[in-house]
Amino acid sequence: MSIPRRTALLVGLGALAACSSKPSSSSDPAILIEDAWVRTTDGATDTTMTSAFMTLVNPGDANVSLTRASTSAAGMAQIHEMVKGADGKSVMQETKAGIVIPAGSHAHLTPGSYHIMLMMLKEKLPVGAEVTLELTFSNGTSKTVTAPVKVFTEEQDHYHSPSASASMSGSNG
Amino acid sequence: MALGAAGLMMATRETSTTAPVVGPQHRTYSPHGLHQAGIDTPAPAVTAIVAYHLSAGIQVEALARLMRVWSSDIDALMAGRGALGDPAKEISAPGMSLSVTVGFGPRVFTLPGLAAKRPEGFIDIPVMQHDKLLDRWSGGDLILMIAADDETTVAHAERVLTRDAATFASVRWRQAGFWRGVDGMGSPVTGRNLFGQVDGTANPTGDTLARAIWVDDTWMAGGTTMVLRRVEMNLDLWDTLTRERQEKVVGRTLAGGAPLTGTAEHDGLDLAAKGADGGLVIAENAHSRLAHPDTNNGRRMLRHGLNYVHDENGRHTSGLLFIAFVRSIASQFTPVLQRLDGSDALNEWTTTIGSSIWAMPGGFPQNGWLAQGLFDA
Repeated sequence: MSIPRRTALLVGLGALAACSSKPSSSSDPAILIEDAWVRTTDGATDTTMTSAFMTLVNPGDANVSLTRASTSAAGMAQIHEMVKGADGKSVMQETKAGIVIPAGSHAHLTPGSYHIMLMMLKEKLPVGAEVTLELTFSNGTSKTVTAPVKVFTEEQDHYHSPSASASMSGSNG
Repeated sequence: MALGAAGLMMATRETSTTAPVVGPQHRTYSPHGLHQAGIDTPAPAVTAIVAYHLSAGIQVEALARLMRVWSSDIDALMAGRGALGDPAKEISAPGMSLSVTVGFGPRVFTLPGLAAKRPEGFIDIPVMQHDKLLDRWSGGDLILMIAADDETTVAHAERVLTRDAATFASVRWRQAGFWRGVDGMGSPVTGRNLFGQVDGTANPTGDTLARAIWVDDTWMAGGTTMVLRRVEMNLDLWDTLTRERQEKVVGRTLAGGAPLTGTAEHDGLDLAAKGADGGLVIAENAHSRLAHPDTNNGRRMLRHGLNYVHDENGRHTSGLLFIAFVRSIASQFTPVLQRLDGSDALNEWTTTIGSSIWAMPGGFPQNGWLAQGLFDA
């Protein structure tokens, strides 16, 4: 997939800046967060959990990972990846390694791919509300993003394996 | 939301005071001007007008959330970027002259706390003698006018906006229209309705236009009010008339739209001129005379026409979506309509089958959202 025009410009600027600076993580440009949004609980069968999506852009010259996410709107937040199960079907599960955002490139958190799972939601999330997320990266930086809540068209919990759902549903017994 | 490089997607806004250097096609409009796009911008080829019914129990707080969501969608769609969470985001593209114009129907001002926000003169139009209004083409709580150079752009934008409104509102009716505002070389022309008449010649421009339509103050600063009338045409009967009779009905020639008293399209009407037979050249009941500001105490409006065809139950119909923008419907529009209803020669071949009125807010700032002022205390 080609890098969108907008991020290509940002990557160019980052590369320019990196040329003349020392290769130390403290001078790496910060990770940029674009097009963040959160799936609504309106109409959901399970209103205790939902997902957050976004594009993470890394203008620097070293790989950086998203390692942690949190929000006051949820009791727990996990970073999820897509893996192929034994039966060949794709399921979502937590990735302790986080999400790698390659140097000079980007990572997409989209339905059917990486996402941030928000569990034990403290309140319903109606369309048009906003959720503030704190994201922590492997280079020691963190960033806050406010994401609007939107309608989500794909089936809910479509990608989660039965065992993963059981451990996530915790207090939902 | 999206960071940086807003310049890459810089929108150009054409206003009525800017002489177009290029034709009206392939534009990229912005929703962030003083006025919403789609009002005094040239009509592109395709328009879908969609009215929504607010779901039962929707309160003011929910309406505000819908405005936030729609503002985010409209910002992206009009810039040609994907709207957040749109699975078909690649359909979005700039340069399609897309405008999305939002309006509120009368029922919105009955929500708690909003009664005082009702614009001046925003009063339902009484049913006219010649009207045959159908509920299915009338009324509504929210309206979207979605216009673009092509149907794909319109259909996609409509789908995104309707989907994102799903938890707040359902579609009440959809009226689709088309207009040919360019010639074969892409140069702007006034355009013709399906009677073949040049339609829209006498629209006000510049300061006259601004005074006639824009609200200057309150939450609606930069906005206006809109009337939409669905006018069915009896083309079969119209086709049997002589050309001379057809031209006399309106008071303009069919060839170029010039008044019968003039030679060029934009010549003023000479309402006093008499013919060789001693009768008025522009007849007493000619449409152009009855609608003229000079015979209506200076009342003016900005008119947009959209042609439509509609097939239902084996019946094929044609007509005009008549859109008028005025600052006050009660003072500027309704009296003129009453006059036309009483006397217009054109009534014999036209029937209004739908009617609705709408309050259109101004444009919204980059980091704001539509009609924000409506929700302030």
